[in-house]
Amino acid sequence: MLALYTAASGMAAQELAVQVISNNIANLSTTGYKRQRAEFQDLLYDHVRQVGTQSSNQGNILPVGIELGLGVKTVGTPRLMTQGNLSSTSNSLDLAVQGDGFFKILMPDGSFGYTRDGSFNLDATGRVVTANGNVVQPGITIPPTATSITINQQGHVSVTIPGSTTPTVLGQINLTRFINEAGLQAIGDNLLVETPASGPPQDGIPMENGYGNIQQGNLEQSNVDAVVEMTNLITAQRSYEMNSKVITATDQMLQTNNNMHT
Amino acid sequence: MENALLVGLSRQMALQREMEVVANNIANIDTNGFKADFSLFQEYLMPGARDGSFRVADSPVSFVRDRGTLIDLNQGPLQRTGNPLDVAINGDGFLVINTPQGERYTRNGSLEINAQGELVTSEGYQVLGDGGPIAFQAQDTGITINPEGTVSVKDGANATIAIIRGQLRVVSFAQPQRLQKEGDSTFSAPADMPAAPSTTSRVVQGALEKSNVRPIIEMSHMIEVSRSYATIANLLQSQGDLHKSALQQLSDVPTS
Repeated sequence: MLALYTAASGMAAQELAVQVISNNIANLSTTGYKRQRAEFQDLLYDHVRQVGTQSSNQGNILPVGIELGLGVKTVGTPRLMTQGNLSSTSNSLDLAVQGDGFFKILMPDGSFGYTRDGSFNLDATGRVVTANGNVVQPGITIPPTATSITINQQGHVSVTIPGSTTPTVLGQINLTRFINEAGLQAIGDNLLVETPASGPPQDGIPMENGYGNIQQGNLEQSNVDAVVEMTNLITAQRSYEMNSKVITATDQMLQTNNNMHT
Repeated sequence: MENALLVGLSRQMALQREMEVVANNIANIDTNGFKADFSLFQEYLMPGARDGSFRVADSPVSFVRDRGTLIDLNQGPLQRTGNPLDVAINGDGFLVINTPQGERYTRNGSLEINAQGELVTSEGYQVLGDGGPIAFQAQDTGITINPEGTVSVKDGANATIAIIRGQLRVVSFAQPQRLQKEGDSTFSAPADMPAAPSTTSRVVQGALEKSNVRPIIEMSHMIEVSRSYATIANLLQSQGDLHKSALQQLSDVPTS
């Protein structure tokens, strides 16, 4: 009986949904994390009796056919790129993007990664780096004597050098946009990388041409909503249970067959 | 003599199919835009014993035959997601998508943007607007879809101007029961049933239409199916016992 396999596909799908939900909940307080959701679609159909075929020589047409669906499949786990809440940290190197755009990070292998996590630090040579020590692009080096780093909404980094009354602008932090942000691939460490689905990266200046603005002293929190995830978890668990009941019922039907010995 | 067995068997075969329909509904309980199926049964009459010597009319035997599966086209519940690329259709309309097999129709409004900036389904099929695929430019922000399906964006260079990128085609059908499920949340329409623009449907942005499978109904259905199956099995069993005892008693006839 196909119902066994149909229900099994349902159980597999719900198991995957629970995995996605558990990852969202685990990243409830990961800076810049974007939640994912499991997308399902129905599998192919067995058209036992084709709808619309002729049922008599008088031209009567079957108004309904017999369609036996063969279950469910997971089509993707897209990332939802909605804005997370900003939490104020009053740390001068904590940056949050409000609006569209990612920070561009130079990876150790020379390629670029993109992140919404703006909890930056200085390394031993004064460069602005991520928590993992990768350099934020374009590279900005803060002189050791500089005090009071200010980063404005357009990403200009200015510092006060002792002996000078006017602040010195050291550079401008850029943002990168993609036409399909959901097509970026996550590689862990809060980093996303470009794929053929995301389109090429487009670097730009904050607050221009649709790029977001930079908020100094803030961090973008994860956009996971605990209530939504818990509701989804309940739904997934109950659906899993229901699919297992279908397997039990089908099994009982098969058992009935085996018990017939006339 | 074997009719009782065969009638029972016809019912069991129909029940197996029905179980497959129930299993598929339950497997798709969390599939966006999924429409549940129902089984329809029909009595199939076959004349019974034929003999001119019967004084009363012979009684026909009726078998069970599954005549079709009906698509339950009722509206599924809307879940708010807040994602600007999620659309739900309130009403009887369908979105039109461009697949390699031609135009297909879907109620699953979990949309994405591909690398070319076009609005696509999760499978990567283009969602069609009144003027073909709907494409966004790189500097577009703030995608808004109004209840009529018009997709507008704010141009990044001048955020005060709204630019229209197209209008989603929302279509309905004269006889939606004749739509055929093609998997991947899509339906196809027969050639003689053209898609007409739907006037009553409204597009809801930031929401998804969930599956319209009703778990309680499906579970009770499932219990009914498996219990009826067992009942028929009992019937077949007693019919078999009847045969057995008839044969035994016949063989006991004294041979004098």
